[in-house]
Amino acid sequence: MPEPEPTTLLDPQAISRAEALGLNARYIVEGYMAGEHKSPYRGFAVEFAQHREYTHGDDPRHLDWKVLGRTDRYYIKQYEQETNYVAHLLLDGSESMKYGSGKLTKLHYAKVLAACLAYLILHQRDAAALALFDTTVRDYAPRSDNLASIHHLMAKLAAFEPREQTQIGAVLHDMARQLRRKGIVIIISDLFDDEQTVLEGIQHLRFGGNEVIVFQVMDPYELEFPFNGLVEFDGLEQLPKILTRPAEIRKTYLAEVEAFRRRLREGCERNQCHYVMVNTAQPWHELLSAYLAFRLRTQ
Amino acid sequence: MSFLNPILLGGLAAIAVPIIIHLLHRRRFQKVVWAAMRFIQASVEKNQKRMRLEDMILLALRCLLLALLALALARPAILSEATDVFGQSKVTAVIILDQSRSMGMSDGTATRFDKARQAAEQALDSMPSGSAAAVFLASDLVQAIIPEPTYDLNLARKVLREAALTDRATDLFPALQKALDTLQGRLALRREIYLITDGQAAGWRQLTEIQRALERARTEIKTHIILVNEHEEKNLGLSDLRLAGGLSPVGQSLRFEARVTNYGKEEVRNVRVGLSVDNDPPSDEFTLDSLPAGASKTVTLFAKLRTEGFHSLTARIPEDRLAADDTRGLVVRAIREVKVLLVDGEPGTEMRESEVFFLKNALVPVSADHVADYFIKPSVVTGVELAQARLDDFDAVILANVPDFNDSTVRNLENYLRRGGGLMVFPGARVNTGFYNERLAKRLAILPAEWGEHRGQPDRDDQFVTLQEKDYEHPIVSLWNDPGAGRLASARFFTRLQMKPLPWTGPTPGPATSPGKTDLPAQGSSGRGSSAGTGRTAGQEAGPPQIIAKYNDGSPAMMERAWGLGRVVQFSSTADTAWNDLPVRLAFVPLIHRALGSVVARQDEGLNVRVGEPFTRRVPNDYLDQDATFHKPRRTGVTRDLERVELIEGWPTLKFDDTDQAGVYDAAVGDPPFKAKFAAQAEPAESSLDELSAAQLGTLREVASVLTWAPGLSLRGLVEKGRTGVEFWLPILVLCLILAGLETFLGQWFSRAK
Repeated sequence: MPEPEPTTLLDPQAISRAEALGLNARYIVEGYMAGEHKSPYRGFAVEFAQHREYTHGDDPRHLDWKVLGRTDRYYIKQYEQETNYVAHLLLDGSESMKYGSGKLTKLHYAKVLAACLAYLILHQRDAAALALFDTTVRDYAPRSDNLASIHHLMAKLAAFEPREQTQIGAVLHDMARQLRRKGIVIIISDLFDDEQTVLEGIQHLRFGGNEVIVFQVMDPYELEFPFNGLVEFDGLEQLPKILTRPAEIRKTYLAEVEAFRRRLREGCERNQCHYVMVNTAQPWHELLSAYLAFRLRTQ
Repeated sequence: MSFLNPILLGGLAAIAVPIIIHLLHRRRFQKVVWAAMRFIQASVEKNQKRMRLEDMILLALRCLLLALLALALARPAILSEATDVFGQSKVTAVIILDQSRSMGMSDGTATRFDKARQAAEQALDSMPSGSAAAVFLASDLVQAIIPEPTYDLNLARKVLREAALTDRATDLFPALQKALDTLQGRLALRREIYLITDGQAAGWRQLTEIQRALERARTEIKTHIILVNEHEEKNLGLSDLRLAGGLSPVGQSLRFEARVTNYGKEEVRNVRVGLSVDNDPPSDEFTLDSLPAGASKTVTLFAKLRTEGFHSLTARIPEDRLAADDTRGLVVRAIREVKVLLVDGEPGTEMRESEVFFLKNALVPVSADHVADYFIKPSVVTGVELAQARLDDFDAVILANVPDFNDSTVRNLENYLRRGGGLMVFPGARVNTGFYNERLAKRLAILPAEWGEHRGQPDRDDQFVTLQEKDYEHPIVSLWNDPGAGRLASARFFTRLQMKPLPWTGPTPGPATSPGKTDLPAQGSSGRGSSAGTGRTAGQEAGPPQIIAKYNDGSPAMMERAWGLGRVVQFSSTADTAWNDLPVRLAFVPLIHRALGSVVARQDEGLNVRVGEPFTRRVPNDYLDQDATFHKPRRTGVTRDLERVELIEGWPTLKFDDTDQAGVYDAAVGDPPFKAKFAAQAEPAESSLDELSAAQLGTLREVASVLTWAPGLSLRGLVEKGRTGVEFWLPILVLCLILAGLETFLGQWFSRAK
């Protein structure tokens, strides 16, 4: 499939449905602007949080004069600050993402998904950053809260060509080390890597206080393995060819895939992050609506 | 272990097919670029061993299946006395049913033929299912009703039930040889011949050849000779019936000779022989007082034919167990008058000196009062007057001592013969032998012989030759084989011309001339045509020269040949007493009458044929391409056979081949119908009771199994004992089917999703 124009990466239907639901941070994230997301930085903003005894060095402006008048004690009023968050979109650009049983490759699906999410995030005045990786981060768009930067993001998405194998775990560790502010890390990948290192990477991100959402993108053929007759499978990531009769190994294959997914899902659950199985046969709007609705319910 | 179809063992090479397919199959696959290789790799590693094992099992099954199929097609067999574990192997058989006349012998309730049919059906019943049988009917002819073995045994049964007895003679060798030829080309373990016959010795004339042929095929083909005869001691038969005189005029009392033969072993007394005309009550009867065993007696019977045309005469003796030979039919054509032109080459001065004096008297051997009523009407002309004579007004022309004649007379004579006229030629002192030899003998081949040198002196009465004493073969003189008819050899020949028979190379098939142009009608009741222009060359119309009688020194005395539709009789001595004293002998009248009968009614010879010989008769052109109906003897109802009148050798000819039955046949063609009769006469030898001797049976037993069958006996038991050998193709085929089923099941089972 030819690489799309940057503008076609946005699925209008997906956007229109998802806009209403919005992507809210499930955990407290850091942000610059007062907004919909709670900030861990308490201070002197609009919404009252608690009282604290005055200590030396506190700004006397924040003293609660009413309490001082009644009780003669020095208390400081603290308020919860609403901030905007930073969402880091990590898109797997390894060769295995090039697979697609139909015209739609996993990579293209992932690009559209990433673009839609970026648009949603920017549209609600949060900040979004984009990293395209394989064995390491190949391309990076720094965070921006300007909706106009969506074009920049999409141009980067559209221009990206996968070349290499995957090393997701290493990339996640790098990211975890680099992220200075807590935010939302959205991983979009087929995760065809050693699941242990992947989970360790996720754990590292969570340890940094980030919310992590994992979108595992798989083709319907990879999920159903509907081949018959004699088939030679040519591996996309420099793996040796295999000639076999797929019908006869289908059950084993499906069991293998299911076990892999189960391990990932359970690992994600342990790290309290969302694991979303993405079948590229599923339209984007359905996927986004379903996920965002689920997210609202569990908030 | 042997293979009935060894060439198909080459099919074993087909084992390579599944292997090749397997290998080719591995080169034909779908290519898929795939991301999730790790899962496939893991799955394949888990299944690899099992899949390879399944592949090997299926491949082995397929190879085995093809190998067994090739083996089954090659039809392995073991010749052994083994028990019939797999059922009896199939039989390919030829059933030969003797349908000759002797099979009509009855034991009072059923004929041998009826029994033979039953035995044949039992032979069919004794064959295991899946067997094939051909059916031949044998007499002196092999009739392959089912020429190649058929698996439809019901058809064979039907054919056997519908088979009819014929009056043909027997010769079993051709039938056996044909059966052997048929079976030798067949691929079958058990090949059998069933010859069902009555064991009459006459059918086994070629016993040595039969034995040799059966001996050669003995290892491959088993022959059962099934005899259905019951010993019979008595049989009386009519072995011959013929017209004694050469001519059959209307209203005259005609002499017929019926020959009765006692084929039995005992003397028979008081045999009444009757003769009837056209199925009327017997017109004459004679009782033979006594007929010793093995003897034959000729009975003379008289009958008158009331009308012109064809008449059937039937001689009868009382019916015995072989009824077929107790009647015998004969057909004669009655003629109103015979006009004879006597050409006198030397009239002389007195009546007695005339060259034809004796001939004229011999032709009309009645008193002066009855000359006018007599059926032979002779006219006399001189040699000079011959040129003006209208030959077509006469039935026969006799040239006596005519020196020679001109070309137009030769042409007239040629056309006259062609249209069916008769010619007799006597030499004499005045005859120009050079003319006769050059023109009539060599160029036109009208005469059967050239005349050579004079032999003997006319004035030396003491030096003479006579005619042969016995062994008269020609029909004209066969009468004198019977001493009761007088002696032909009593005549003395003082002078004669040497006769040199002309060479004959057989009929030259000329182009079939159009009847419209040739206008060559047949003789007979239709009369003669008026003109004859043909493009035929000399010799084409001439029949073979035949010697009628010889002198006692062995040289030919009388010869004849057919020419066109007519006939020529040539003598070597004079018609008067100049060179011999034959004209004053008693035998002269019958000799001349028989010779006249022969030249006048040449085509009527074909009215009485042997059973099985075709009847042919030339008919006028008007009947060409019309359908003729034939009614066979012994056939009841209105069943008729149809045959078309076709051109044969350029003449419209009525032809009928199916003369299996003895008796009188009726034929009719056209409108107004031309009606004819003819008779088929059976071979007298078929009446013989002689059976195969014990020694002969012993010889046959060496090469075949000889069984004597009678109603009530089970042929199955007798035949099955001799059947050996087992074929294995069926169990192998069943195994193939099981393997094919197993292969399909395992193929499905192995390729199910795992």
